[in-house]
Amino acid sequence: MKEKVEIPDGLRRAYVLVLAPAAALAPVPLFWTNGASLLALGAYEAALLLLWWRARSRKPVRLSNALLNAIGLSYLFWLGLEVAVVRPGLLRTVAQLLLFTAIAKLASVKHPGEARTALLVVFLVALAAASSSFHASSVLYFAAMAWLGFRTLSRLAVLADFDTAPPDRVLTAVPTGGLALAAIGGAMLVGAPLFYALPRLRAPYAVAPFRIDEALSTTLTADRVDLEAFASAKKSDRVVLRFDVEPGEALDRMLRLREAVFTEYRDGTWLRGLPSSASTARIPAVYGVPRAAPAGSGHAARIAVELNVVARGFLFLPYGSYDLQLESGASSPQPDGVVQVSGGQRAVRYAASVASVPPRGLGRSSMDPRQVPQEVRAYATKLTAGLEEPQAIYDRIRRHFETDFVYTLDPPKAAGDPIVHFLLRSKAGHCEYFASAAAMMLTARGIPARLVTGSYGAETGFFSKALVVRGGNLHAWVEADLGGPAFAVLDPTPPVGIPSNLTQRSLWQRLTNIGREIEFFYDRRILGFDSLDQAQAFETARQTLGGAAEAVLTWKDAVKGLFASRHRSAAVAVLAALLLGILSQRLWKRRVVLPAATRAYLSLRRLAARRVGPISPAVAPADVARLFSAAAPPGRGDAFFIVDAYCASAFGGRPTDAAAERDLALRLRRLKKLA
Amino acid sequence: MTRLIPDWEVRITNFGLGYILMCLVVAIAATNTGNNNLYIVLAAMLAAMVVSGIISRRNVRGVFCEIEAIDEVTATRPALLRLRLENRMKSETAQAIFFLHEGLPGPLWIDPLKAGEKREVVIEGLFPRRGVVQRADAGLLSRFPLGLFRKYRRAGLAREIVVYPLPERGPVAEVPPEEVAGGRAHARRRGGGTDVRTLRDFVPGDDPRDLHWKQSARMRRWIVREREAERDRVVVLAIENAMPDPRDPAALGELERRISRCAAQALVLLSRGGEVGFQARGVKVPAHTGRPQRARILDALARLDAIPLDGAPAFPPLRRGDLRRLVT
Repeated sequence: MKEKVEIPDGLRRAYVLVLAPAAALAPVPLFWTNGASLLALGAYEAALLLLWWRARSRKPVRLSNALLNAIGLSYLFWLGLEVAVVRPGLLRTVAQLLLFTAIAKLASVKHPGEARTALLVVFLVALAAASSSFHASSVLYFAAMAWLGFRTLSRLAVLADFDTAPPDRVLTAVPTGGLALAAIGGAMLVGAPLFYALPRLRAPYAVAPFRIDEALSTTLTADRVDLEAFASAKKSDRVVLRFDVEPGEALDRMLRLREAVFTEYRDGTWLRGLPSSASTARIPAVYGVPRAAPAGSGHAARIAVELNVVARGFLFLPYGSYDLQLESGASSPQPDGVVQVSGGQRAVRYAASVASVPPRGLGRSSMDPRQVPQEVRAYATKLTAGLEEPQAIYDRIRRHFETDFVYTLDPPKAAGDPIVHFLLRSKAGHCEYFASAAAMMLTARGIPARLVTGSYGAETGFFSKALVVRGGNLHAWVEADLGGPAFAVLDPTPPVGIPSNLTQRSLWQRLTNIGREIEFFYDRRILGFDSLDQAQAFETARQTLGGAAEAVLTWKDAVKGLFASRHRSAAVAVLAALLLGILSQRLWKRRVVLPAATRAYLSLRRLAARRVGPISPAVAPADVARLFSAAAPPGRGDAFFIVDAYCASAFGGRPTDAAAERDLALRLRRLKKLA
Repeated sequence: MTRLIPDWEVRITNFGLGYILMCLVVAIAATNTGNNNLYIVLAAMLAAMVVSGIISRRNVRGVFCEIEAIDEVTATRPALLRLRLENRMKSETAQAIFFLHEGLPGPLWIDPLKAGEKREVVIEGLFPRRGVVQRADAGLLSRFPLGLFRKYRRAGLAREIVVYPLPERGPVAEVPPEEVAGGRAHARRRGGGTDVRTLRDFVPGDDPRDLHWKQSARMRRWIVREREAERDRVVVLAIENAMPDPRDPAALGELERRISRCAAQALVLLSRGGEVGFQARGVKVPAHTGRPQRARILDALARLDAIPLDGAPAFPPLRRGDLRRLVT
């Protein structure tokens, strides 16, 4: 048997220098996933740093066999003791054993094969770290490991052909930065489709919700909602859901999304409760979302929602929803048109049709009047004394809130019942205080009412046209029986407390939200990607390809028909040549540069449109100047000068000379500043 | 450590096999757990294989490599070779490339070649046996980028490399002078002999001892004696290259030894100023002197092949007075 010759020190140092950076980064996620004890990780990094430093300083890095054996036996003894006494769990034990093995291998490289073994151990450490980290920052870890992994493997590939210590320049020469970037970019291009195409036989191992803010999670997922948690949820900037509306004109109807209905109040906490006996029989009971559109409804729209945080939570649905289609999981219809989703913690996607009807609350459950605190009852009676009409009572309450109460997300701490404290003492609170108080006061006055939570408004997404609902958009309002065919939707919160309907965030705000968007994408499209998503992706791809193929086939048939005979072929050729000629001529014409005065006039039209809105092509040039002057009076002279020059040039045939061109440009600059 | 020159262009490495095995392991783990992070790792590993294949193919194929002998090449003796490298890729840097040659002690590291860069490297090679090298037993090897595959590209030759036989030191018999009976007359040539060939005007460089004083006095200018070269008989070295079985290793070994001895004798005789030719069956190098003749004879010896005895052509005829000496 051929005896292996031990590699020289220089080559061993090179192996350590190549492997150390990747080995240092590999276990990093274990720090926050608690996959190994901090002591073990710290000792590992320190030992690695020491090895790397010795290699850099050209000092021997290999430990003697006797020392290695002693350390190994000591570690095994300690490991056994730890397993027996501390019981750290299998994952932590294995991870720590891998860390020790990696260091031991790096400190004892005798042959190139052992360097490859060290690489394997480092890879296993990285695998353990990657498979246990479910934060969006894992993407950064993957990117960094891809970079370091490529660098490490490239250099190991070079070292494999050296029998002696390589020159220093060898390790720094490979790989070049540009090539590494290109390789990683190429791997991403190939790897992304592969990731989505690889077969999924099991449900995702981990999904996102467990890292959502506690308050937001509690608010959105429990059968109860308390006033303090709701405020915390509203302060959160987390993405709750995103949705698409088709057609876009129906967006106004979709801005208020109803989530849950609460009818039972106990000491500052709302519970879903059972349908109250006080409910009127005039209004039908409704479970879940209707299957068909309500009679007499107008043109329906469609909403598709991607809800990020649902753990036995409720679906956000606009008023008038029907024909709900849940992509995965089991839905559980609840009274009053509420739908709860069960089946574990995971994000869901669903779609529903939305009828064009006035917003009305489904169902008939309402708060039990006996639950209204005495102080609130007295307050309501006093406030609405002399009023009997439900709408008038509500209007009085709303006006009272607008004029005498303050909207704040940080209301003063209540000593007793928060609503009593809100009405009688603090007179400050957020939307749920207002809605709760209004619901109780209406109930106290004998008007069936209930608290409704959901969201209002949205912001436009950064990467797509989808609308994003964040924690700040969460809202609470009231549904009450004001005598109509169903519960009316009442929003007693003062206008300052109602979330804006469509937020146009500044570029900087959008940029700062990129992280959130990435997190959302990672949660939904990477961590939670499953076989259903895959099937849908394949179906979409199949349909797209099918459509493309059909288009090609149709085109081919049409072309074949055209070229059926020689005469036709000739005619088609002549026609094609003619079309080509016309096209060329049009393109050539387009290249003709407009006169300076015309260009200035067109710029003026654009500036005016920016100030006063779209301007029809039928608007005469002088009217354009007048419109602009009305919007920006200081620009009157310049605007009319440009129009005059344009008319003289375009209609009077008087060309604009160079001096006039400069003058026009100057005046246009002034107008741009004004606009 | 001498490495064999590969006879393949692409070969998977042991590391590559291990990598594929790890892909399988990760695939099983990902499928069984449904952990999408493991799917990311798996997709990245598979994508890396594809990208690695593309990059390594371009990396090796994009580099033009040509070898040329700088001077005479003698078997088993170090020879200087010029290695011309050119990165013909438009934008990529060719990197992590090794040059392999049978005569090199190990793979030769080539520093990265930028796009379009040309480089010449002089290397010392060693050819184990005489002969004519028409196809370079050398090339470029790379495991770049990930070491999954080894890719080899054979180098080209600017022109064939003739590897001369290594002369085997041995006694060389004296050549009888041309005056001996049977010799043929030579053309009279200048040289350092004793016989005067002619008298002529002195030119710089002439030996002052050759001044003909009396004639110089008579002519009133410097006149020197021009002497004739001392001449041996023309010797034609001959080698019997026909053998009953040209594939017989023993016979071939003997032929190689004869060729080495012949090379030594030719070099000695030519160094003495002799007129030497070479003959074998089907091969003839007319007798001549000087360095060009040395090259001609060594070239013929390098190219000499063993031929079967049956039907072998006879030795070319000698000119009258020439001496054929069969090297054994």
